[in-house]
Amino acid sequence: MKILIAIKQAIALDEDFEIRADGRDIEEDFFLPDLNEWDEYSLEEAMLIKERHADTPVEVVCVTIAPDSADEALRKCLAKGADRAIRVWDESMEGSDPVAIARALAAVAKKEAPDLFFAGVQSSDHAHGATGIAVAGFLGWAHSAVVARLDYTPGAKEVVLKRELEGGLSQELRLPCPAVLTIQLGINKPRYASLRGMKLAAAKPIETLAPGDIGLATNDCGESGSLARVRRMYVPEKQRAQILAGDVAAQAKALAAIIREATGS
Amino acid sequence: MARDPKYDILFTPVQIGPKTLRNRFYQVPHCIGAGSDKPGFQAAHRSIKAEGGWAGINTEYCSIHPESDDTHRLSARIWDKGDVHNLRAMTDHIHQFGALAGVEMWYGGAHAPCMESRATPRGPSQYASEFETLTYCREMDLSDIAMVQQYYVDAALRSRDAGFDIVYVYGAHSYLPLQFLSPYYNKRTDGYGGSFKNRARFWIETLEQVRAAVGNDCAIATRFAVDTLYGPGSVEVEEDGMRFVELADPLVDLWDVDVGDIAEWGEDAGPSRFYLQGHQVPWTRYIKQVAKKPVLGVGRYTDPEKMTEIVTKGYADIIGAARPSIADPFLPKKVEEGRVDDIRVCIGCNVCISRWEIGGPPMICTQNATAGEEYRRGWHPERFPKKGSEDSVLIVGAGPSGSECARVLMERGYTVHLYDTAEKIGGHLNSVVTLPGLGEWGYHRDYRETQIGKLVKKNKQSQVALGQKPMTAEAALTYGAEKIVIATGSSWNTDGTNCLTHDPIPGADASQPDQLTPEQVFSGKKPIGKRVVILNADTYFMAPSLAEKLASEGHEVTIVSGVHLANYMHFTLEYPNMMRRLHELHVEELGDHFCSKIEKGRLEIYNIWGDGSRRTYRGPGVFPRDANKTHRWLEFDSLILVTGRHSDDSLHRELNARQSEWEANGVKAVYLIGDAEAPRLIADATFTGHRVAREIEEANAQFPKAYKREVAIWGNPHSPGVNPEIEYES
Repeated sequence: MKILIAIKQAIALDEDFEIRADGRDIEEDFFLPDLNEWDEYSLEEAMLIKERHADTPVEVVCVTIAPDSADEALRKCLAKGADRAIRVWDESMEGSDPVAIARALAAVAKKEAPDLFFAGVQSSDHAHGATGIAVAGFLGWAHSAVVARLDYTPGAKEVVLKRELEGGLSQELRLPCPAVLTIQLGINKPRYASLRGMKLAAAKPIETLAPGDIGLATNDCGESGSLARVRRMYVPEKQRAQILAGDVAAQAKALAAIIREATGS
Repeated sequence: MARDPKYDILFTPVQIGPKTLRNRFYQVPHCIGAGSDKPGFQAAHRSIKAEGGWAGINTEYCSIHPESDDTHRLSARIWDKGDVHNLRAMTDHIHQFGALAGVEMWYGGAHAPCMESRATPRGPSQYASEFETLTYCREMDLSDIAMVQQYYVDAALRSRDAGFDIVYVYGAHSYLPLQFLSPYYNKRTDGYGGSFKNRARFWIETLEQVRAAVGNDCAIATRFAVDTLYGPGSVEVEEDGMRFVELADPLVDLWDVDVGDIAEWGEDAGPSRFYLQGHQVPWTRYIKQVAKKPVLGVGRYTDPEKMTEIVTKGYADIIGAARPSIADPFLPKKVEEGRVDDIRVCIGCNVCISRWEIGGPPMICTQNATAGEEYRRGWHPERFPKKGSEDSVLIVGAGPSGSECARVLMERGYTVHLYDTAEKIGGHLNSVVTLPGLGEWGYHRDYRETQIGKLVKKNKQSQVALGQKPMTAEAALTYGAEKIVIATGSSWNTDGTNCLTHDPIPGADASQPDQLTPEQVFSGKKPIGKRVVILNADTYFMAPSLAEKLASEGHEVTIVSGVHLANYMHFTLEYPNMMRRLHELHVEELGDHFCSKIEKGRLEIYNIWGDGSRRTYRGPGVFPRDANKTHRWLEFDSLILVTGRHSDDSLHRELNARQSEWEANGVKAVYLIGDAEAPRLIADATFTGHRVAREIEEANAQFPKAYKREVAIWGNPHSPGVNPEIEYES
């Protein structure tokens, strides 16, 4: 039994940063990279399945579509107990949008043939929330987004889950395997890696593949394989804030006036 | 990063007489336990602040003559050439970093008990000190006045020779010049008493003489309590306070103003429990209206925002700081470099002050474990030696000690995993800060949280694992760390074990529904009844703080205390207002009483002095005094056991028991720090964490390395020309 997990080395920024000269991204010097927060939860969910069913061998494999700077994120997963790590990259993949990334992930999934494919609901940096479900689109597998609870016994033909909907609603679903699930924060409590885990992870190999190794043509990747591209990245103009004085009634009155003015009503 | 331009005003220079302060950050005189006899300690502690950006740095109060001898407390002294030689180390080191050095010339009058010199202090009138209650001074006649003024002049000349740039005539905290000014002390009817002009005469003349002697070379400062807070009958700011500043202004180059007296000087060095930053402003703000010379004020200023406000609003020209400069000697530099979030903010616990009050052991600081250790241990507050090995370290417990140990190890480049069951760094401090008035103590946690957060980003191998299951010996052994530090803290005793009987109290049992430990009070899970008895055998803040908390919440609180309640709070200057709070809240105190047994809803108490005063040998098995017959029952709805603490060290014991498995698991050493080693002050817990982190490469870092001692060496005279041999008058 196998669980394949898409992970991403996400980028955080400090207060101070600069936009790249071409205006399409942040200068790399200001990147504070770390494993995408959602991926901590999908990995933990996979590890819980693996540990709860010690009699059925479960292989947890992490995959990322990224240059070697993302090895750190893969090693973090290995340190927490993932069995294998795969990284797919070459220069032709530069500029990939979520759909192009999903195409590559789907190609890895076809090769690995997992019973379950996990992705985070979204990444903490770009927050498209598209990659996981696009993978399901390429694979044609059953899928569910924003999974907040999961019941699965390794080897079972189906998975039972609860997913979050708008307005505080939940939906319980039963999906046939293989399935693609995007995992929501709070589904579990992610573990920390021990020092031993980190030391072992440092010695484990990371399988590196080029697009050709998973059957992708050059025009499947990068900007040529993408429908979207970043045209410009910029800091939105600062809006003015105003503190409304007086008691609640006076504040409400002032607020209503502002809304009327803004909406021209 | 550059500093925020809104703080620019703090970095503009100020001219004080012949000298220039490079910016507005100024370390006012404060005690550290160095004086003139530990010149290395003095030089290193003061010059670290010069390096950290302060513009002016002072000695503690510095006695001008053996007639002003504060033994059993520790002052500096500038009595002779030996003192000049020793204090020269301080001024030289301060000058290396471009700051000015100041000396606070002090004559105490009756407040100085002269226990070493056995001299007789002199004062404006004869009075018994309200601070040093066994000491009287002798009233000065006119020749005495001239003589004591000459002491100031001679001391000022010696100060100049020692390299001081700023010379104080110290008249705050009720010392001699203020004793002349205040009718509370001064009952004279001659030209030095009575009218304001007469009462001010001693101070004015002394300033004139000191100025004439050294005014071309040194800035003349005076420290003045502009309001003694006694109301009418002493110094009030809008009366004699402003009047004196107006009169003396031409004679001074720098006004250093505060409020209060010496007997209750916590009104000046206000603990955070009762006083916010800038608490003296309502009084000291008047001084700028009459002073043409630069004015500096104190008030535990830690926040550059507040400091800027003080200067821009015209309350003061210079920001004086004692405690904030101890907690962070690099405060000005951090503001300058735009690193305000790196400031180690003074928590206002006054544990630094407590050491002076105790009698002058080296000062300690809860926030800054390197305070007082600059010289003897070579600890720089901002620089750390690079790691001495590739060993990784697991620290179990993220309280004051564990988090400090983690911070310092990470600063040194070690890979550290900090592990705790709680969801937040801080350990028991997270409960303590919920007690009335103790919110600011949380800065201790906040500083470490912020720093560790930054350090973890620098080394991805390091990690803070919070909200974890309790660490077992097995998990610690197999964690993969070469070194394990146990910082699991301590707990309050559940069985009444205490410092008086060293045994549990029969019937004490915090698993009963009507008995609680402080932790159980914090957790809020057990209901607390109307009538609360706090059984106390702890001499610090827990019992009075819980009493204040519970009485504020509407409980009727009685404290039964077998030890002097809140005794340590005398030393932190929290005692007077703590007692006022308990009084306001109608908390009953049964002092000198302890407990022999506890039953449901009642405890049996006894007067601890109720046994016979005559001690006689009555044979084996018989108590050598008459039996104590003072026992009586006291009823309660809830009983809170503040009887003592014990280390939570079971993990350490288990790991030690499995020492044979260490090597196979790659474990080289296990250390025990903080309250887990022995319950103690937060400052001392923090210190042990810091020390182990600094010394972790030592063969056995559990035990401290020797430090450099500063002691008199036999055969060497303190002052030149003195025969150091034993010689008797014949």
